[in-house]
Amino acid sequence: MATNEEIVFDNVSRFYGEVLGVNRVNLSIPPGITSLVGPNGSGKTTLMNLMTGLVRATRGSISVRGIRPDESEKLFRILGYCTQFDSFPRGYTGFQFVHASLMLQGWDAKVAEAKAWQAIEKVNLVEPAKRKVAAYSKGMRQRIRLAQAIAHQPQVLILDEPLNGLDPLVRSETIALFREQAERGAHVIVSSHVLHEVDMISDQVILLANGYVVAEGAIRGVREEISDRPHQIVIRCDKPSEMASKIFQFDHVVEARIHPDFQGILVKTTNSSQFHKLLNRLVMEGINIETIAPADDGVNSLYEYLIGDEGAQK
Amino acid sequence: MTGFALWQRQILTIVSLEWKKTLFAKRGLWVYALAFLPALLFGINAIRVQNQRDAQMEIQRAAPNAAAVTAAIQTGMSVDDVTRKLVDDKVPFTKFKRRKKFEFVRYSDGTNTWELMFVEGKLTEKRNRDEARLSDSIRAFAGAFQYFFLRLAVFFGCVGIFMNLFRGEMLDQSLHHYLLAPVKREVLMVGKYLAGLVATIAIFCTSAALQFALMLGAHSSREVNEYLAGEGWAHLVSYLGVTALGCVGYGSIFLAAGIIMKNPLIPATGILFWEGMNWFLPTMLKQLSIIYYLQALCPVVAPLSGDIPEPLKLLATTAAPIAAPIAVMGVFAAAGMVLTFASIYVRKLEINYGAD
Repeated sequence: MATNEEIVFDNVSRFYGEVLGVNRVNLSIPPGITSLVGPNGSGKTTLMNLMTGLVRATRGSISVRGIRPDESEKLFRILGYCTQFDSFPRGYTGFQFVHASLMLQGWDAKVAEAKAWQAIEKVNLVEPAKRKVAAYSKGMRQRIRLAQAIAHQPQVLILDEPLNGLDPLVRSETIALFREQAERGAHVIVSSHVLHEVDMISDQVILLANGYVVAEGAIRGVREEISDRPHQIVIRCDKPSEMASKIFQFDHVVEARIHPDFQGILVKTTNSSQFHKLLNRLVMEGINIETIAPADDGVNSLYEYLIGDEGAQK
Repeated sequence: MTGFALWQRQILTIVSLEWKKTLFAKRGLWVYALAFLPALLFGINAIRVQNQRDAQMEIQRAAPNAAAVTAAIQTGMSVDDVTRKLVDDKVPFTKFKRRKKFEFVRYSDGTNTWELMFVEGKLTEKRNRDEARLSDSIRAFAGAFQYFFLRLAVFFGCVGIFMNLFRGEMLDQSLHHYLLAPVKREVLMVGKYLAGLVATIAIFCTSAALQFALMLGAHSSREVNEYLAGEGWAHLVSYLGVTALGCVGYGSIFLAAGIIMKNPLIPATGILFWEGMNWFLPTMLKQLSIIYYLQALCPVVAPLSGDIPEPLKLLATTAAPIAAPIAVMGVFAAAGMVLTFASIYVRKLEINYGAD
């Protein structure tokens, strides 16, 4: 049952003429960090634009924490959107850009100024904030857009490819900022191509392909539901050959490959819970197991399984 | 802050963000050129007339009897008699022939410029060709104002400025910044419209005032003071008011066109054609144009353009004069209707830069 704390898509479709944007999308997105993942043209940006009213649904309805996207006056008090459009009003400095958006919120000039500096500080852009945005690097432009999106402390933060153009240090600072927003109960919806980052930051993922939602939920949960692909598990142990011979007696083990350093084994099994029980027995039989880690419950694998190789990227 | 107070603050914010951008946009330089072209022409004319006056002063000094010569020259005199008189009194002149039969003598007596026409050697006509009379300048100003300034400069200036308010930002891919703010689309539209008005009124009223000043600058201070003491100031206020109203009317149309249409040339051409046809429309249809109300408010009736062929002049109809308050209300009502219509579209406006 959807509540006013969720973002709800109810049978939403959007067509651009005869071109499909998204089709029959049904989603209930809870607060936390949600990543939209899919290849180019899969419908990620369309979904974000639909949530923010920049485009209208051809069919169906959307509610963002109980507010319709066409109620812009209410919606953008609780929502900040950092778009992928890399363009700014002409002649603005970074500070003016953030300040102007706060003035449009109806804040008094002094309050707006204080809030603008707070947001600029959060993205570490204080020093260049008085310079024209036109002279910024791509990463700086990305950060000033982020500052503008978070300046009014929105309950819903939508970020289209927000890590593009950022150097590794700024990336990790930015990811920390997303976590901070999520921890205060906000929705943080991120679209990204960089799958290992999605793995790192997301509480849940929505996988899109060709305008359709192909899976949604916590990454591990989504993996559990894919039954036609064996689970891959990496085990670091002292007797990988002995372990391989023992586990091969079981039907649910379809492959076991010894690691080149002879210190571990990659197992493919069709029943991961049975396999974990089996591991307990092997330990009792004297095999010393150091670590057990799933090898394919990352977004990259989900991508590969659900969407195909073309979507999966490193 | 909610409701009207919030809208008011948001509109002020939009105007303050937009007006400078609109007024000092590089791509709007041609609007300045268009707006100030008549001022340049009036300026050149003022210099020309001033030079003419200086030359007349020189004649007054060099040929103090020149005015008496003019009085003495009568129709029926021969070319030789007239030129001898002018030579005797040291009045410079030019003489030229047209088709054997006609001869002309042109000279200035220090006050007026005369053209004497001789047919078969006899003076038949004595024309005062003084181009520096204030009354003529006032009529010339009325013509330039109505035929060029209102119909072309203000019209195309509004095309350039108001159409860019939405369409320009679509092309720059920056309109979404406004659409992602908690601002009603209608409030955004009004804010942008007012910013456009501030810019166009500043540009075109400055130009109109400058043209008026330059038009007067060509004349003696005595003439100018007399004119200003009479109806001059009222004329200036009327011209400035009509200019501002032109911006109100055309601005609303082109703002709406910028929201609804992608190509500015289509609405601009269509409306230019409609406004240009205004002279030939029946009264009912005249009322559906902006120029009808603006012309009704102009303080001096402009002479019908000499370029219009005589048979078409017969078709030109003059609508019954309308009272100034009705004309003013007419422009505001038209602008209000157009903006209301545009607000339906602005509510549905989507960001789809790829398609724009």
